[in-house]
Amino acid sequence: MGTAPVREVHDLEHERFLEEVHSFEFWFHSVEGYLSGTTYGHREETVDDSPSGAVDRQHLITVLSNYCIGEMAALEGASGLIAIAPNQLTKIFLSTQVADEGRHLEVLLHRMRDLGVKYPAQEADRRASRGLKQFRHELLRLVQGRDWEAAIFAQNVILESLEFAVFRAHAEGADPVTKEILDGIIKDERRHIGFGENELGRRLHAAPHVRTRLARVREELDHLILDMLEDSSREIGVEPDRKAELARAYLQSVERLGFT
Amino acid sequence: MVDPLQSPEEVEGRTERRRFVLEETGFDEVPKRYRKFYRKWRGPGDQLGPNEAICPVCKVVIRSSRELWPGDRLYCMPCMSRLVVVESADGTLEARVSY
Repeated sequence: MGTAPVREVHDLEHERFLEEVHSFEFWFHSVEGYLSGTTYGHREETVDDSPSGAVDRQHLITVLSNYCIGEMAALEGASGLIAIAPNQLTKIFLSTQVADEGRHLEVLLHRMRDLGVKYPAQEADRRASRGLKQFRHELLRLVQGRDWEAAIFAQNVILESLEFAVFRAHAEGADPVTKEILDGIIKDERRHIGFGENELGRRLHAAPHVRTRLARVREELDHLILDMLEDSSREIGVEPDRKAELARAYLQSVERLGFT
Repeated sequence: MVDPLQSPEEVEGRTERRRFVLEETGFDEVPKRYRKFYRKWRGPGDQLGPNEAICPVCKVVIRSSRELWPGDRLYCMPCMSRLVVVESADGTLEARVSY
């Protein structure tokens, strides 16, 4: 769309808007805004005030391990989805999501190394929760089964909404370096959750029968999600009243799509 | 947040919308030329201006150069959503996703 000043963005035709926000060009100039000047997701001058006590440090490493496996699932899922994406716009958008997920995995592994973990990938795999590993398995099963709607639902609505809610809660009380890393990831996640919800919303509008199949997928994944939410809340020290808020944040997008 | 008015408000009859001059507020999640249309929600003490609405999907504040009226279309570029402004039960305006 060039570089000319924009008088009123809300006057764009919808088709033009979709073309713009799905583009690699839009992605590139978006991430440039908040990632330039950072190294592995944070500014070099940010003071590393990570937990000095052994217990708290181990706790943070376990939290990051779960994030790594979640990001690995999203990376594998998004890259697999490119092959079955229904059109060029969604293929291009998913290529930007793959880059985002790869970056997330890299900065989180790097953070674990900062915290003294010699082999972060192996450690992440060893420490991550069983529910998360099971979710990753189920997500990849949907991708391999070439079920576009179900895989987008599992990945960009369920997994990304959960990550968005958990990362935001964690960032509020995290040490400065971890907070900066999470804040950058949250900015990427906005695009991913929005893409999933809007893509599915449009498809459900055009083909309401898909809803029955997705409701079944949700039912199959629900117990894993609730386990993951429970684990994450405990690990990042969320108070009981905030836990309900976290669950609500996750459920809102599912409900907006008509799944109660 | 209240942006500067571009032209005086026509109070009588309110047949014309108020227009606002938008300036960047430090929002950095979209390409530079779109940044003035969005800002961060600053928490409980924050207030929406008559030209602003919160995106229900990603919680960013969406801004327009025009006063918002029910039926207006808004775009949330940070999360790629199309929204419609509606009047809620308590009389305030809110944005809802329009797939």
